[in-house]
Amino acid sequence: MEFKDYYKALGIERTASEEEVRKAYRKLARKYHPDVSKEPDAQARMRDINEANDVLRDKEKRAAYDALADRVAQGYGADEGGRGNYQPPPGWDQGFEFHRGPSQGPADHAEFSEFFSSVFGKGEHRGAQNRQYRARGEDHHAAIEISIEDAIKGVEREIVLRSLEVDAKGQPAYVNRTLSVKIPAGVHPGQFIRLAGQGMPGHGGEAAGDLYLEVRMAPHKLYRVDGRDLYMTLPVTPTEAALGAQVHVPTPGGGVVEVTVPANARSGLKLRLKERGLPGKPPGHLYLLLDIALPPADSEAARQAYELLAKAAPFDPRRHLATSGV
Amino acid sequence: MSSYTVTSTVATAVGGTHPLAVHELAHACGAEIDWVVQLVEVGIVVVADTSASPDDWRFHSADLQCALEARRLERDFGVGLEAAALILDLQHEVRRLKAALHAQGLLRP
Repeated sequence: MEFKDYYKALGIERTASEEEVRKAYRKLARKYHPDVSKEPDAQARMRDINEANDVLRDKEKRAAYDALADRVAQGYGADEGGRGNYQPPPGWDQGFEFHRGPSQGPADHAEFSEFFSSVFGKGEHRGAQNRQYRARGEDHHAAIEISIEDAIKGVEREIVLRSLEVDAKGQPAYVNRTLSVKIPAGVHPGQFIRLAGQGMPGHGGEAAGDLYLEVRMAPHKLYRVDGRDLYMTLPVTPTEAALGAQVHVPTPGGGVVEVTVPANARSGLKLRLKERGLPGKPPGHLYLLLDIALPPADSEAARQAYELLAKAAPFDPRRHLATSGV
Repeated sequence: MSSYTVTSTVATAVGGTHPLAVHELAHACGAEIDWVVQLVEVGIVVVADTSASPDDWRFHSADLQCALEARRLERDFGVGLEAAALILDLQHEVRRLKAALHAQGLLRP
């Protein structure tokens, strides 16, 4: 596990004030927000920035993190091989307790690093146990990426969750739970899957929270997703486009359908296969975008065929440019 | 660190026949019910009948996504909910246009 320098992630000094932390986060969040950033690693950078902000804007977590950083600077916790691996020293966080108040929003640590979970998950858990009230456990959030085929047919996937539990000796210990999740058929991008009771443990005997998984669609070699609609580029020959044709098209639900390409079809023409997209209410459509692919003129016979075509069907695609007299 | 496998038998897609009640949406966002009522008032989440009791409101995945994003904007940027509503409208328009461009093969993911 790599020790994370949260101050470096936000580009600030350790002496930075709360206002400086806030300003640094907001500036970097604007730069690396995946919706607007052109940086290739925007998503990873945004995750690091969010993680650093989650710790440094919280007084309790920041104090604990600073104490930990001091111990690391003194040589505790660093591995002997110097590979940057890191284990928090035992008892490093004694005296710190992390609270999650209503203003702190959703507990969405699932996207944060192993380092964060190791250092702060424990403190948050202990804080929850020590509180003297009854409350349902917090809900957790994570994302899961599935294929288009899996979204249509449903799939069973395994995800690994990390939590703190009490071992046989009564000592708290981290446990990796491998959760087998049956994702129902017909989910679409942006949909949430709810796993009841798989969030944080409850307080004072109350029920555990839920885990929400946001569905994301993996890139596909044939289909592109827009909501519940799917798009596919359909290559056709000039002959098929000019004369019309029946062509075979694979559908994401499996199988092949025969599609009529109309005569005199142009490149970019959009054909709709009704309700062949992602299922739902209403179901999406599968759109085919025609792409006229030219046969290569790489033989004498092919060249002659193109010349014959030019003579048989005189055609000036630049007529509208009015350059014939130039 | 030890590991074990648990098989979850309760996995439901939020929306359709499994919408969220107002207290469930609030809990998922680490918020109070009053905060969800404010989201409805500014139009960040949409309910069929705003005059109905909040207990009768039902929310879908898109509402949960908007509510979580509003919560983060509020927490990380200190924006009010009305400003968050505008930011989310613009954000969704950017995402819609990018998705449309990508679907047409005009933009890499």
